Amino acid sequence: MISDITLGQFFPGSSVMHRLDPRVKLCMTVYYIGLIFCSRNWITLALTVLTALSGVVLSKVPAKLYLKSLKPIWFLIAFTGILNLFYGSGEPIWSFGFLSITRAGIINAVMIAVRLVVLILISSVLTFTTSPTQLTDAIERVLKPLALLHVPVHEFAMMMTIALRFVPTLLEETDKIMSAQKARGADLESGGLAQRIRALIPILIPLFVSAFRRAFDLATAMESRCYHGGAGRTRMKTLHLGRVDYGVLALCAAYLVLFVLLTALLPAAI
Amino acid sequence: MADAPATPFITLNDLCFSYDEESGEVLHNIHLDIAAGEFVALLGHNGCGKSTVAKLLNGMLIPTSGKVLVDGIDTAVEETQLDVRRRVGLVQQNPDNQLVAGIVEEDVAFGPENLGVPSEEIRRRVDDALKAVGMYAYREHAPHKLSGGQKQRVAIAGVIAMETRCIVLDEPTAMLDPRGRAEVMDTVERLNREQGITIVLITHYMDEAVRAGRVVVMDQGKILLEGAPREVFAQVEFLKRHHLDVPQATELAYRLRAAGCDISGTPLTEDECVRAVYACYAAQKGVGA
Repeated sequence: MISDITLGQFFPGSSVMHRLDPRVKLCMTVYYIGLIFCSRNWITLALTVLTALSGVVLSKVPAKLYLKSLKPIWFLIAFTGILNLFYGSGEPIWSFGFLSITRAGIINAVMIAVRLVVLILISSVLTFTTSPTQLTDAIERVLKPLALLHVPVHEFAMMMTIALRFVPTLLEETDKIMSAQKARGADLESGGLAQRIRALIPILIPLFVSAFRRAFDLATAMESRCYHGGAGRTRMKTLHLGRVDYGVLALCAAYLVLFVLLTALLPAAI
Repeated sequence: MADAPATPFITLNDLCFSYDEESGEVLHNIHLDIAAGEFVALLGHNGCGKSTVAKLLNGMLIPTSGKVLVDGIDTAVEETQLDVRRRVGLVQQNPDNQLVAGIVEEDVAFGPENLGVPSEEIRRRVDDALKAVGMYAYREHAPHKLSGGQKQRVAIAGVIAMETRCIVLDEPTAMLDPRGRAEVMDTVERLNREQGITIVLITHYMDEAVRAGRVVVMDQGKILLEGAPREVFAQVEFLKRHHLDVPQATELAYRLRAAGCDISGTPLTEDECVRAVYACYAAQKGVGA
């Protein structure tokens, strides 16, 4: 069933990570992605990986789900790892024709693989513990200063809210249209690529027509409910930073200092 | 209820409307007054202009000529459109297409948020509105997991959270199953009775129109007939000539009378019909009713 696809894999819970302010989580994710790619030596890389993994543990989401989130990109990790293996300068340890592996190449490959895995894990902590609505809210508020530069932040957030709201509705509709077309003898599963793509046309056209109709209705509904853009709009749910949030931010700042010091003092791995 | 007080809440004055030049006029010289607290049903078959009237009532459409006044405010004036829309809310036919947010309570909060109501006040209004339509228990659900009737009730809550004084419902039950239809109609009736909210119900279900205080029948962009449900539905032949139905109970009584049974009055509901038929039967058999 097409409607089995889950989007925004949020797992409701009440762990520390769930209770953290979504803005803090969003900033931390960006912060960690930055750190993980700036780690130049083993000590900082290990420390960053460990602190990032503490987020995974604190989220109390089953480890199985984190492994599942890595599954689709195993290939990418392996591919970039292997590619980096052959991309080092220095004394070759092993060589075959034009291919050669150096010590730097091995280090590079391991580092890039670790970085990618951690990148996926920390983004998963964010999406697993934050509902799509909270996430949109956080993005709107974090990016708010950009509105001064005439970036339509509110409009983007509103579009995301509506998109998230309508994804399940449209998936359900696609399912219905597919069944209806199959009932009329449409063959969606056989033939070559070209034929299969052609078979999608009778599904996409009704889907688009209905999406436009929905958009008109929705516009009427929004206008009827006094929507007139972001100006003068208030929110029911306001975000407040709690003690835990300030604590986490302080720890992040302290860690940043440590990170900079270690990077400056210790020799780089390569 | 049929006679409106001196200053009606909504006035349609000599209203004409056309979407564009080619398609011609959709509504011709409509006069209609709706009093505060009234429950009006607007009847007519497809294409008679009733949905157009719905959009004219809250200023989504502007009359080509004539005026629509809501609480004394002209809907054609651009600057006061928000004032019109916070007084007259609109609930549309398709339950899927009018909910904006991915969580029920956030959707209900959408209207008051647009009006700039303070956060705590929105919270209170949302809770009250959800309780008023009996959807409070579902406040944290996703709209796509609800039934059609539940979605329409959430849509109604979204309108009353703006503290609107009038709700226009444009065929709100057309896409619902019988249970959803009953849920929505009971909710609408209760809001009218308990909170004094003015209701304009646009429908083609005669059995729903029976529950209104006043019925307005439209055909080809004109008002054909207007009055209390019993007065209107008594004119079975006139309505049939205009390809309109009457409630099932009324229809049955009409046919029995045509077949020679002595059925009195115009029964509108099943109960009334049963009583009328029993009275007729009892009179024939000579038993006391």
